[in-house]
Amino acid sequence: MKSSIRRSRRAAVAVALGSVLALTATACGDDGSGSAGDKGNEGSGKGTITFWDNNGGVRTDVWKQIIADFEKQNPGIKVEYVGIPAASAQSKYDTAIQGGGLPDVGGVGTAMLAEVAVQGALEPLDSRLAKSSLKSKLNQKLLDNSRAAGGGDQLYQIPTSSNNGVLWYRTDLFEKAGLDAPTTWTKFYQAADKLTDKGKNEFGFTIRGGEGSIAPALDAAYSQSGITSFWNGDKTTVNDPKNVAALEKYVALYKKDTPSADVNNDFTKMVAQWDSGTIGMLSHNLGSYQDHLKALGADRFRGLPNPTQDDGTRVQISNPVDGLSVFKSSKNKAAAWKFVEFALSHEENSKFNESAGQIPANTEAASDAWVQRAEPTKLAAEALNGAGTKIVQLPYYLPDWNTISKADNEPNFQKVLLGKMTAKEFLDTLADQLDKAQADWKKNH
Amino acid sequence: MITEIAPTAEPVVTRPARPGKRRRAWDEVPRWQIYLPLGIYLLFTLVPFYWILLFAVRPAGSTSLLPWPATSEHFQKVWTERSFGTYFTNSVYVGVATLVLTTVVALAGGYALARFDFRLKRGFMLALLCSQFVPGALLLVPLFQIFANLRMINSLGSVVVAETVFQLPLSMILISGFIRNVPYSLEEAAWVDGCNRLTAFRIVVLPMLRPGLVAVGSFAFVHAWNHFLFALMFLSDQSKQTIPVGLNTLMSSDSVDLGALAAGGIIAAVPVVIVFAFIQKWLITGFSAGAVKG
Repeated sequence: MKSSIRRSRRAAVAVALGSVLALTATACGDDGSGSAGDKGNEGSGKGTITFWDNNGGVRTDVWKQIIADFEKQNPGIKVEYVGIPAASAQSKYDTAIQGGGLPDVGGVGTAMLAEVAVQGALEPLDSRLAKSSLKSKLNQKLLDNSRAAGGGDQLYQIPTSSNNGVLWYRTDLFEKAGLDAPTTWTKFYQAADKLTDKGKNEFGFTIRGGEGSIAPALDAAYSQSGITSFWNGDKTTVNDPKNVAALEKYVALYKKDTPSADVNNDFTKMVAQWDSGTIGMLSHNLGSYQDHLKALGADRFRGLPNPTQDDGTRVQISNPVDGLSVFKSSKNKAAAWKFVEFALSHEENSKFNESAGQIPANTEAASDAWVQRAEPTKLAAEALNGAGTKIVQLPYYLPDWNTISKADNEPNFQKVLLGKMTAKEFLDTLADQLDKAQADWKKNH
Repeated sequence: MITEIAPTAEPVVTRPARPGKRRRAWDEVPRWQIYLPLGIYLLFTLVPFYWILLFAVRPAGSTSLLPWPATSEHFQKVWTERSFGTYFTNSVYVGVATLVLTTVVALAGGYALARFDFRLKRGFMLALLCSQFVPGALLLVPLFQIFANLRMINSLGSVVVAETVFQLPLSMILISGFIRNVPYSLEEAAWVDGCNRLTAFRIVVLPMLRPGLVAVGSFAFVHAWNHFLFALMFLSDQSKQTIPVGLNTLMSSDSVDLGALAAGGIIAAVPVVIVFAFIQKWLITGFSAGAVKG
């Protein structure tokens, strides 16, 4: 029995030691320092900086190439790449702002810029840009978008690229049906009707009813109504009768010319069913170009900017602008800014956007040959930069914009599709929330 | 003050129903009434899995409804280009370490709850139960700060500790239920034979807890394997990420490679399916014993 007692003690000691060793072995991390309150400093311009990619995974390879080029040109600086899944980037930033562990430089899109900036986490970049060779090389419209999205007073983001709404359509189905390209809303609605044959599971259009539905719905409303400003004084124009009528026409497509499952469509489902089914048109953006190319091949589809009015008037909502921000807590802001400048240089910005299929912010990169060859990108760039294009600036600067345009109103848009709420009720509710958010924002600015 | 719980009377063993009767009842039910609902249920369950398999093995751009001709390109892509080999190893480490830590600590805590009476025991049990209602996301910032102070950010240990802490309440309650089912007199008999409490526990009680340990261990492993939030928040280095985070990186903000995502999903699911295939008998016994007799 004594030996049994000894064995028990040995077992207990082994368990305790094992637990301690296991935790010790794994506890070789870092302290994740750097939260919103930390003011950081310029640093020596050398050493290691951390870069968070807010769209990690798909863009990891191109960022690693850019980082390798940067490290080759700046041997004293090492960049640690951290890829964050796009859907979780905001949560990761929010946690780091509160708890610490912010990077030196990171990707921050305009959709989340206001929320990050309002917490005091970002370094204003106006003076750095004024002294930089980049100053005259960036698309002014995108810079304006970045400034507006950060609140309007200071520049917190240097834009790398812009996305744009694209109406993807199946050229094979259009040719078979003898239809013209859907360049105007009239042609769009005609094509949606003609290509629908529910008995054969063929549909003219797929509508976004789930996550991310608000921006495409507003794009369709403003584009048809021709209203060119989001605000009329302190009141939003979102529930203007013309927008209500336009939205009613747009949502009437649901089930008539679209699959009924569209009520739950996020972009993943929407793109997947368009790529693998028999659906004539899809309204998304440049980001899904590679998916369509892989699924359909180059000859069976085209991407046009969203339809215009019959007289050619083009009105569209502002699209999210992707960009880089330097964090206030960085202990090496000089090196972080060098990295931003390098990533925005002609060659690197061109490389990045060719991979992402987006419109380069660097004007020299936007003239590169690949942009001319990639028709959807070229047409989107022309639409975006065209003199006749009127852009309705969505209020990305409102810290509540994400909540209002997602959690608060996406379920309401589903109700509109299902006939449980009218388009007018939906837009009135949205307008009421936006007016209040705008009033709050104005109080503090 | 801690007092031991007095031995209770042996549980009354009810006589099992005669097997012959059960067989007759079974024979009286037409087979189709059993197999048809099961078949429909299986169809609903398996169709999504078939769809994942289809996307994973058919070439990009194919619209075939059959997984033929098959390709391994998506698996190769996620395993090599998207670092799923590394993610897989990290997930195994996190899963196994959480399993071991949770089981060991839950055994000790569960034994104390089952065999000792102490002040505020009911309150403690209530607190354990209530802790299950607190979502992990609410505790992210304090946990982040704690791990930062311990210099454990960007270390797999932080995820293991966080997962273990969140698994422990339920595991301790389950294990205490299993231990209560082991007659106290067996332990007393071991003490009479000269064992101390730990030896008696190891020799007499532990072998009888096998179904419970399997239930608690597998639950801890699967939860740690699937959990996304802690790995996303506490780990930054790509070489330390786990499978759920890797799966999320296959979906960008406006593009998704469905073939790679499906292949990644299968890689993520296979270990869990294998684990459950081996332990399902013990698992069902374990959960029912802990739930009903506890």
